[in-house]
Amino acid sequence: MDAERIYGKLERKVDQAAVKVTRSNITQVRFSNNKIDITNTWDEESASVFLAKNGRTFVFELRYEEDLERILAKALGTLEKIEKNPDFISLNDKKNTFRKKSIKGKKLMEIDGPTFVEDFIDGIRPFVKRAGGVFYKRDVEEWVKTPFNSGSERLFGVELVARTFNDSDYPVQTSIATSSDDDFDKVMSQDKELLELSRNIRNIKEGREGKFNVIFSPLCFASIVSYTVPMASAFQVDMGMSVFADRMGERLGSSSLTIYDDPTDETMFNSKTFDDEGSPTRKTPVIERGIVRSYLHNFSTASKYKTETTGNAGIVSPLPWQIAVEPGNEDVQDMIASMKSGLFINNTWYTRFQDYREGIFSTIPRDGIFYIENGEIKESWMGIRISDSLPHIYRNIEGISRETKKVKWWDETMHTKSPYVEVADVNISRSR
Amino acid sequence: MQEFVDRALDYAAGKSRFAEVRFFSSTRNAVLMKNGSVSASGYSVDAGLSFRVLNRSMAFSAINIPDWERIRSEIDRALRISEKPGRGDFSSEEPVKDKWEVGQKRRIEEETFEDRIERVKELDNLLVDKKVQMRMISLSDNIEEELNANSEGMEITSRLPKVGLFAMIGLLENGTFEQGSIEVGFSGGYEAFDTWKLDERFSHEAEVLRNAVNSKKIEEGVYDVIAGPEISGIVAHESAGHPTESDRILGREMAQAGESFIKRGDKGRRVGSSIVNLVDDPTMEHSFGYYKYDRDGVRARKRYLYKQGIINEFLSNRESAGRLGEMSNAASRSSEWDKEPLVRMSTTFIEPGDHNLDELLEGIKEGIYIKSFTEWNIDDIRFNEKYVGREAYRIRNGEIKEVIRRPVIETTTINFYSSIDAVGKDLEFSAGTCGKGDPMQGVDVWMGGPHIRLRNMSVR
Repeated sequence: MDAERIYGKLERKVDQAAVKVTRSNITQVRFSNNKIDITNTWDEESASVFLAKNGRTFVFELRYEEDLERILAKALGTLEKIEKNPDFISLNDKKNTFRKKSIKGKKLMEIDGPTFVEDFIDGIRPFVKRAGGVFYKRDVEEWVKTPFNSGSERLFGVELVARTFNDSDYPVQTSIATSSDDDFDKVMSQDKELLELSRNIRNIKEGREGKFNVIFSPLCFASIVSYTVPMASAFQVDMGMSVFADRMGERLGSSSLTIYDDPTDETMFNSKTFDDEGSPTRKTPVIERGIVRSYLHNFSTASKYKTETTGNAGIVSPLPWQIAVEPGNEDVQDMIASMKSGLFINNTWYTRFQDYREGIFSTIPRDGIFYIENGEIKESWMGIRISDSLPHIYRNIEGISRETKKVKWWDETMHTKSPYVEVADVNISRSR
Repeated sequence: MQEFVDRALDYAAGKSRFAEVRFFSSTRNAVLMKNGSVSASGYSVDAGLSFRVLNRSMAFSAINIPDWERIRSEIDRALRISEKPGRGDFSSEEPVKDKWEVGQKRRIEEETFEDRIERVKELDNLLVDKKVQMRMISLSDNIEEELNANSEGMEITSRLPKVGLFAMIGLLENGTFEQGSIEVGFSGGYEAFDTWKLDERFSHEAEVLRNAVNSKKIEEGVYDVIAGPEISGIVAHESAGHPTESDRILGREMAQAGESFIKRGDKGRRVGSSIVNLVDDPTMEHSFGYYKYDRDGVRARKRYLYKQGIINEFLSNRESAGRLGEMSNAASRSSEWDKEPLVRMSTTFIEPGDHNLDELLEGIKEGIYIKSFTEWNIDDIRFNEKYVGREAYRIRNGEIKEVIRRPVIETTTINFYSSIDAVGKDLEFSAGTCGKGDPMQGVDVWMGGPHIRLRNMSVR
């Protein structure tokens, strides 16, 4: 498929059109209980087409270019009849230039997925009862063509998620996602990180209810911000069901908390130089020193909110690319050592909100919930839940580490670079 | 791409101990309305070829490049990978040749975008009349067409039309906010709207939110609880359907959605009171998760997951059944053409009993009635779960009294099912999208049940 060629067949038939072609070559190896279950490979291409005519809009997805004439006829017929879309103002109508992106991932590209996983399992098997996980190698090319702009870029990265269980069947998990050879050694040493986590397992018991200081690992804090930042999409804010709605300029977190959407970090997979309507991307502070600083915009939502696009199109709904939480200046070992009583939580899942506006939610910690007393890990817990609110958690941040990690896990955690974060008085509940 | 199925199968079958080739196409239309504006109208045809080959291990590959050399090269890559060590179990099943489809009374193909927008707009207007400020309604339809063949002689073609609607709404009154959702789904055409009674449901949901913002929390304590069909459904799905998925039991999802509190040898273990029967049934007519044959080509049938409170059967596909030394019970599904088939639910429900609602209420002195839920979650072995009520009432002396706000039940699977002492004779379903797998696969399901009564539940 060719974005220019597809665009050429559309441009005279509508007022504005945007074409995005994606070609992806992905290998994934899934393993569980010390064996590879399956290797999946994808060799795919697709086009997303956005059309606007007389204030009306229509989108379609194309898998085969030869279907274009047929689908276009349907789309144009529909565009004549449906009602106007008042949310759409225009595609970005400035001629933009995009920064040059360079991927430094030669060594990562040479990794053979199944061999890497076999070696990983062989390496860790003597030390744990069982290991499972997933390895991804993604190589994606994207082209965007609009009336005003065109661009192409490559996205590349590897991801490893691994979970191990010890003899008592207590799990720990690690994740790393990178597109840079600078992280090659970290990718290769995830087994050591798992073993370090595993060494903390002792005195396994059911957890207790109450208010606890919690040190969130990068993986765990990334999960929480992964449920937060998408709510900064102007589409979500405009609908009203967002913790960011009516909070622009207000305090949502402690002054040590800054969260960016940062597509400019080229060591992460979802680094982008342009968005789906040809706007240049940029680093956008969503929360800066605890204050709600910016929503995520495309050209139309920015026009509505009388601001500039942040380069986050999605033409229908703006979306974040990849998240960066600003590191602090603490050492994680010191954070643990100075904790009088509290928890270290390594991962969480199944985050659900009962109130999007107030950010009231619960989530279920897993893969290493360590109870700390006088700076030492005393117990490993199971069966607890964080039942709290985003503003309460963000406002109660007491410490942030220097050390960060780039993670991505399944659908729970977006591509995120996060430090360890300590939060006071987190509400922990459990089954009764 | 469909024309490559036979050639790809011949090629792959000659070089593997098992090969399967599938052409699958989803033709979708969707309309999205946000606060009264049509934010998006869209159409997609998502189609391609996928294949699985089994030698020393299983490899799955998906390609949508209509070029034989590229396809052959992709098969070769999969064959090479399948020679690496790994798991290679697959149950032995009788190969079937068949064609099936679900009919439509009001055909999706004849529905225009103006029709779709009009349907959504009518519902949005209802909410506007009820002064609901935050409204997002999405209507979509999908025709799935499949040609599935394997090297053992299985060859199945199918056509499955579906219609689904999802609404998320929020109401802000005097600074207090409540949110709710409505989700319906149907296998068939737009006659779905005749069965959904959406006017009634939307009006009711708006009232529920208005009542909730003006209500108070209940005092924390131990109460008898009547749970409505929406609660029965989510509990059935989360704490009977998921934990009996045999791939979870075998650990295949261990680094994603997790495992199960149920272990391989647990059939026969009691997990609930003897009046509790949990069923998963893909053959239920017009259900959102309907299929006649699963993605492995195995004939679908009703499964009793828990029978009289005892673990009875695991959901399986050919891969997990092979590992367990069993026959598959046809739970193999994939959400799109380019996703590997996994063990999935279809329509999961608590089987009705013999009480009407008045009879359930009769026995309660101090209790609560939870009809629907908002926040919920469950741990990765499907044992510790939480349900927060959306529509909920106080019960006193057998009568439904005032509305209460967001009652919370945090309990375990075994405590929940063991606390059931009466089961209603009604049966209702709601639709949902069940997420599982990596990459994530959302598959259409129904979940449901009757009203049920639980004794001595801790509520806060």
